[in-house]
Amino acid sequence: MSDTRTKHSFYVEQRTLDATDRPRKFLEAFAAVLEHSSYHLPLDVYSRASARCGRCAAECQLYQSTGDDQDIPCHRSELLLQVYRRYFTRSGALSARLTGGFTLTDEYLDTMGEAYYRCTACRRCKLSCPIGIDHGLVTHLARWLLAEIDLVPKALVVATREQLEGVGNTSAISPAALRDTCEFLEDELRENYNVDVKFPIDIEGAEYVFFPAVSDYLLEPDTLMGNAAVMHVTGGSWTIGTGNFDGINYGLFYSDRMMERIVRQEVDEVRRLKGRTVLIGECGHATRSAWFVPTFCGPGAPPVVNVVQYTARQLREGRLPLRPDRIEERVTYHDPCNIARSGRITEEPREILQAICRDFVEMTPNRRENYCCGGGGGTVSLDEIRKFRTGPMGRRKAEQIRATGARLLVAPCANCKKQLREICEDHQLDVEVVGLHDLVLKVIDFGEGRS
Amino acid sequence: MNAWLEWARGPAFVFCFSFMVMGLARHVALTVWETTRTMRRAGDKSLPLAYIARATLAWLLPARAITHDALFTATSVVFHVAILIVPVFLAGHVALWTRALGLQWPAIPNGVADVLTILAVVTAAGLAALRLTAKATRAITRPSDYALLAALALPFVTGFLVMHPGLDPFGYESVLLLHVMSGNLVFVLLPATKLAHAALLPGTQLVAELGWHWPPDSGSRVGRALGKEEHV
Repeated sequence: MSDTRTKHSFYVEQRTLDATDRPRKFLEAFAAVLEHSSYHLPLDVYSRASARCGRCAAECQLYQSTGDDQDIPCHRSELLLQVYRRYFTRSGALSARLTGGFTLTDEYLDTMGEAYYRCTACRRCKLSCPIGIDHGLVTHLARWLLAEIDLVPKALVVATREQLEGVGNTSAISPAALRDTCEFLEDELRENYNVDVKFPIDIEGAEYVFFPAVSDYLLEPDTLMGNAAVMHVTGGSWTIGTGNFDGINYGLFYSDRMMERIVRQEVDEVRRLKGRTVLIGECGHATRSAWFVPTFCGPGAPPVVNVVQYTARQLREGRLPLRPDRIEERVTYHDPCNIARSGRITEEPREILQAICRDFVEMTPNRRENYCCGGGGGTVSLDEIRKFRTGPMGRRKAEQIRATGARLLVAPCANCKKQLREICEDHQLDVEVVGLHDLVLKVIDFGEGRS
Repeated sequence: MNAWLEWARGPAFVFCFSFMVMGLARHVALTVWETTRTMRRAGDKSLPLAYIARATLAWLLPARAITHDALFTATSVVFHVAILIVPVFLAGHVALWTRALGLQWPAIPNGVADVLTILAVVTAAGLAALRLTAKATRAITRPSDYALLAALALPFVTGFLVMHPGLDPFGYESVLLLHVMSGNLVFVLLPATKLAHAALLPGTQLVAELGWHWPPDSGSRVGRALGKEEHV
């Protein structure tokens, strides 16, 4: 098989290389998106008001380490804004007629393909833009348009195809394998904690229907056991549906079209099971894409809760029994961009950590202003760019972690965890990366009866 | 010269000033219209209004931003304050409005105007210097960014000379003509260039949020329009 990386820094499918007539198809997709979605408003305002002050560059962790012009957020956004101005505004069309000006070419599209996958869409630069330009939104849109001409990393498409047209989830776990895994986790809990915790499957009428990042069933047993243990001790009514048990939504990273289908599938499963609430596991992008449930399914759609929010509420209301012994090692917390940048989930994990750890320290900056793990926007799935992710993209994060002197690094996000482990490996940091519920599990008081 | 001056202060001013008012109003009207349309079509109509309001105020009065990049922020804030206050509140300008339309509002003392005018020119030069010396900013700067700074500084330089004829080596009337015409130029540039942010800035935080509020079937509609609904 030929190496499809000769043209792009990431692997693509053969059809990406075979695509023809791309500028025309890109503009057709652009026109359709401007007509049917909400991007016209921000693009129009940004293209008229952008002041090009360069403040965003100072805030970008990638630019901080590369100093490369192509990594200036405003420069990257300008790639798309230029196409917008030229082909979708009257003044752009007029000046093109007068001066010749800019023409969209295949090379330009390939440049965009590289640029928009060098950005994790972490949206940190928006905080420092005086004009309020959301460069993450521009990256999000540009990636969708590029995907419509098949310019998209292979890893993202293959996973989405498996989810929408294959077994039904991104890790290709069959319902039978899911049952086996859940039984195994129940056995583990019985052996290690002498407690009879259930992973309830296909229970109709449960309050919460659970969607973790499905990869947790393969990679993060402690997180899942922690989730189940919390549900057990708090008497939570929950279930896992065999029709759909994957919170992952790569649509958020490259296509609103895919995102809409995946969100609808999630809600369909909640309705099939007559559940009331979407319960998302420890996963940043799964949570953020589920926050689009009201967008795609209307105001009558089930509410969305992240499992960290659930646990924090139980703790606050005194329903989470904890043993007096705490986690002794120094612990720090990484805010996943997808839940923290908007400020929606920043305090809940800290309430929990302060209750269960003796030595909890913050990294700086944190909360809304936290640096991305370096693998955001789906780039963590691209193993072929690991050097880039943990190098220029992850350096800032590595420094942040090292400065805390922590032994345990908590990240309630499957993608962040994978990336952070690779950062710790590549930067020789002696730090263990864990989920939040991994630690909760260690200090839960299961009581005398234990069942 | 007198005829030219009359023309610059008369019809040219009226034209340029009206162009600015109508141009900025058009920006606002288009944005309000598109905002309403986006909101009406959005599947999720709930907005974090308190956050949007806070972010909007934070950038209209960017006191906190100074903690991130003190030199640039301070220069930029002084520049904005000076170029907004002097043209509107200079006693000589207020007098012109009073004579023409009978409108009147308090003026600032000429001494204060002098200081602000000097600050406007110095900070305009400072912003140009910062553009030249900051690597990232220089990389994304276009010639028009320098030209706009020069265009904005010119009415202040000439205005200062008009107020202090003793320092003026060129002759009062020619400098006054240049002052009026450079002011007129700024009026025209305001809606036609990135200076439009003067009218758009109060809405940009809301706009950024609304960009994420899509119609419920936006994805599938695009799929249908492109004839590839089932295409992963």
